[in-house]
Amino acid sequence: MPPAHHALIVRLPPDAADAALADALTTAAELWWPGERRPRLWTETVPAPAGSGTAARRRAAEARRPVAPGHRLRAVLLRYAGEHLADLVLTAGGAALDARSLRLVARVLRGDLAPDAVTPLDGPLPPDLRMDGETRGLASALAVTVGRYEGAASVRVAVPVPARDRPPYALGALDGYAVFTADLSPGRTVADLLATEPSAPAEGDDPPVLTLVAGEPGGDGDGDGPAMLPTGPDALPVPAHQVRFVQEQLAGSAPNTPLSQLNPLSREESAEQLAFRTPHKAAAPLRIDEVFAAQVAARPDAPALTAGSATLSYAELDDRAEELADGLYAHGVRPGDLVGLCLPRGADLVAAMLAALKADAVYVPLDPEHPADRRERTARDAKVRLTVDDPAALTGHPRRPAAARGPAAGPAYVIHTSGSTGRPKGVLVPHANVTALVDAVRDDFALSPDDAWTCFHSAAFDFSVWEIWGALLTGGRLVVVDHWTSRQPEDFHALLVRERVSVLSQTPSAFTQLAAADRTGGGLPALRLVVLGGEPLDARPLLGWFDRHPEDRCRLVNMYGITETTVHVTAATVTRREALAGSRSVGRPLPGWSVRVLDPHGRPVPPGAPGEIHVGGAGVALGYLHRPAPTAERFVPDVVDPAGRLYRSGDLGRLLPDGTLEHLGRIDDQVKVRGFRIEPGEIRHVLLEDPAVSAAAVTVTGGAGGDAAAVRIDAYVVPAPGAGEDPGSVRDRAARLLPPHMVPATVTVLPALPLTANGKLDPARLPAPGTRRTPAPAVPAAPAAPAADAPEAPAAVLAGIWRDVFGVEEIGPDDDFWDLGGNSLYAIRIGTLARERGLPNVALRQLYLTPTLGALSEALARGV
Amino acid sequence: MTGGGGPGPVNGGGGPGPVTGGGGPGPVTGGGGAGRAAGGGARLAGRTALITGAARGLGRACALALAREGADLVLLDVAGELPGVPYPLGSASQLAHTGRLCREAGSAVLTRQADVRDLAALESAAEAAEERFGRIDVLVNNAGIAAPSGRPAHEITEAEWQLMIDVDLGGAWRAIRAVGGRMAAQGSGSIVNIASTAGLVGYRHFAGYVAAKHGLVGLTKAVALDYAPRKVRVNAVCPGSVRDDEAMEGRMLAEIARSLEVPVAEHEAAFVRDQPMNALVEPGDVADAVLWLASDESRRVTGSVVTVDGGFTTR
Repeated sequence: MPPAHHALIVRLPPDAADAALADALTTAAELWWPGERRPRLWTETVPAPAGSGTAARRRAAEARRPVAPGHRLRAVLLRYAGEHLADLVLTAGGAALDARSLRLVARVLRGDLAPDAVTPLDGPLPPDLRMDGETRGLASALAVTVGRYEGAASVRVAVPVPARDRPPYALGALDGYAVFTADLSPGRTVADLLATEPSAPAEGDDPPVLTLVAGEPGGDGDGDGPAMLPTGPDALPVPAHQVRFVQEQLAGSAPNTPLSQLNPLSREESAEQLAFRTPHKAAAPLRIDEVFAAQVAARPDAPALTAGSATLSYAELDDRAEELADGLYAHGVRPGDLVGLCLPRGADLVAAMLAALKADAVYVPLDPEHPADRRERTARDAKVRLTVDDPAALTGHPRRPAAARGPAAGPAYVIHTSGSTGRPKGVLVPHANVTALVDAVRDDFALSPDDAWTCFHSAAFDFSVWEIWGALLTGGRLVVVDHWTSRQPEDFHALLVRERVSVLSQTPSAFTQLAAADRTGGGLPALRLVVLGGEPLDARPLLGWFDRHPEDRCRLVNMYGITETTVHVTAATVTRREALAGSRSVGRPLPGWSVRVLDPHGRPVPPGAPGEIHVGGAGVALGYLHRPAPTAERFVPDVVDPAGRLYRSGDLGRLLPDGTLEHLGRIDDQVKVRGFRIEPGEIRHVLLEDPAVSAAAVTVTGGAGGDAAAVRIDAYVVPAPGAGEDPGSVRDRAARLLPPHMVPATVTVLPALPLTANGKLDPARLPAPGTRRTPAPAVPAAPAAPAADAPEAPAAVLAGIWRDVFGVEEIGPDDDFWDLGGNSLYAIRIGTLARERGLPNVALRQLYLTPTLGALSEALARGV
Repeated sequence: MTGGGGPGPVNGGGGPGPVTGGGGPGPVTGGGGAGRAAGGGARLAGRTALITGAARGLGRACALALAREGADLVLLDVAGELPGVPYPLGSASQLAHTGRLCREAGSAVLTRQADVRDLAALESAAEAAEERFGRIDVLVNNAGIAAPSGRPAHEITEAEWQLMIDVDLGGAWRAIRAVGGRMAAQGSGSIVNIASTAGLVGYRHFAGYVAAKHGLVGLTKAVALDYAPRKVRVNAVCPGSVRDDEAMEGRMLAEIARSLEVPVAEHEAAFVRDQPMNALVEPGDVADAVLWLASDESRRVTGSVVTVDGGFTTR
């Protein structure tokens, strides 16, 4: 790609006459380019002195002006008011004359050179692919720099080269270019790179990614030095000074230096990238039970925990925990032991957590809703001393002997993360991390004893760590939400109203459902803070929430976090502005936490470039329980701070210019098709922008063996209230907004998205895309249509409801709610439709107990 | 002196697309209000505008307004007498003066003498404009005559009718013919036709003028559709009675008064009484509308008629 045009500005002697110049131009042009349209000499008077800024800007404007189509050369003579000076501005199309030729034209017009001393060329010559050392160094440096921005192992740079065997006084030779393909893959050295030979661009070759633009020395502003012309929509601007910095390193490095050691970022720039933390003054580390004890001492009669209709004061909760701690001791639990807790949500679960901590043991929550086999395996892997599943066994024991409190750096709990592959890993988190977390947000969130918090999440999901200790370590009241209520948005909403909850924590998926219930459920006057976490947030659907709950009355905070870094890492307040912008920023690190975005070699990526999010600071866990290998792999030493450790998140992120972190999804999830990266988040975002869609999920499957053709994108959408259920129009809209390789193959309409027990999207329970489920025992859908005014049998009505909810043609009494893809939201829908169609109330619990259509019909008939 | 509207919002880099050349000296980046006098904007920085009838009056006001916003200019005028027109038209001196004023505002200027009835002259001017500035971004079809007028239709001679239609309607079409293809080829451009309230309503004893200006509004709409796929916009501005500004050396109102054989002052007073806003339109008011239509601020406006008449035609 030759440059679009060249320009040259030359100062003329004071006696230069317009007519003489014009004649010289005509004579030369007739000689060099006979039969072509002759360039004219244009004159222009600048009403300012030649040395003024005005004149300089006018010269620059002339030089920047493109050449008209079909013209080879433009010559403009600039004269200045009251001065005998004149400047000649010569401009030529990049494909018509090269920069050297312009200098020759100028010499001829000034009379320094006879026109016939210059040999014209009448067509392009093959490019001379030999590169001089300077150009080679520059191209190499540019390739290395761009490689670091894009994380690419191979970068192509187009290098301008002169035509081969170019005569010394040629005019009209095309500026050719060669393609310098830099191999930056691991193990390559400086010598390898500098030995790279450029090649001629192949016919029909894709245009090279980058073009080197050689700036003239002394140019002003951005034109100074080498620069990159980004040609792709995603190309990042590469600062020229970084290219020069790499060039210096290339020149000064031993030939066997690995390319990975070159760094476009100066020490200062690296430090800037590493300094992504929020300043704070670190307090002395404290234990959880220590801080709790202080709350008990300060406000013994204040309400601490509400479960059902009962509320315990801080003193009562503490008494219960003391009793259970004595029981743990009686059962042989000693400091450092692990204690499994398999208790339903309630006061005893929290008291047992406190009891374990008081006994200087480590609690391991085991969700009673999980299958027993899974619980047993988790307890076995953790090597728990005992598992508490009945608090009664821990009561009535003698006081345990007094003992000094353990260290704050000691472990407090183990939470198991369910990775997509392999066994769950137990994350060992120390006391100090939890108290630091509460400290980090206490002021910003204005947490106080006036607050009422929900404990919505399972104890096995670390979001509950935040809920439980956030409330109890700040003197607030913890409202335990039982499992059934947590699965019914309307009931949960009623609980929020009843208990005057002020601090609510939710996954975005669960919050979407709560927000839907809120549309009809009346206000939430006490609610002042919603913490969203556990999943990437799509801010757009929050607009409706903001309409009902203005940000100045209820603050919405999106928190990015990881179990291995103690629940949260960053926080971003979400307002209407972010929702409208569809922001994916997760904000800044909590005070005491730090975030780095590093490349695979552990170096900071340049600003704005994507890399792996590494988390350091107060939240980094001790490691994986009994799993030294994964611990060593994920918890890595901090090269900058030898005392610290970093957790490698496996999440992709980048630092935005405003100093916040953008979360780009899991690195493992990155799927490429024909070199295009597929971003499920982006597809989902486009779907959610559709006013007809209230929730969306995207699955990307196939392509595991590198088979791009097998990659398949499927979308699932939940229609917005009042919107139609036409997947075709949703897909058509997405196809208009997404690049072809990202358009979902199918769009499946669902009444609700399936969620895991933790309230996150459960991709495993999404139905097969675009298909309707066919039940196994195909019995006739319903008896012959009943007479118009005869009441339909309840069983038939219920079957009709199931058919509508699950979207199946036929249904039989043995069809199972779960096998049909049922979830809590389907259950709610069934309940709603049952009421509407005059059936007795279908309790959610009943549906779970009698999940087949036949059994449920019978239960309803019995009036259960 | 009016017109121009002062420093408007600075509208991005504004240049004609990103300047990706720059192998030569000077900054690589484009845009910016290069060489602009202080106080001007950059809404048209890097753009080239061709204006007909630029020697004086509305043409001069438009030229200055565009110059202040960073445009380089090609200024055309008949710069001489036209047989059959009963009043003196713009002069070469007036055209040069407009050029001087625009240079002082920071523009590079090319002036040409050209009669809009002469297609070859317009084509030559367009070619020179492109050769000099590389491209043409804006065409303001401002040239027009108001007289011979002042008589009922049956008293207009064949020659008078032909002259009026040929200048006021045909002139705009010829300029479009000379420039439109170049704009279409480059995939951008804005054409502004200066019509009149006489393009929207009738005026007694001005049959030729009213017919020509109605025709110009029609031409605007048709050509807008011709060029819409190529992102070339075509719009009309319909000024009401514009005050003859001294600095602009306008004399349209005076000539209309003379056609009607009434004293200028009386004619002006009558027009002011007719205006709902009780004031005549100033040349700068019209130039501001032209500026908006010339700039990217109106990038989705085409085939439209912008009336600048103080409300005259609304009743």
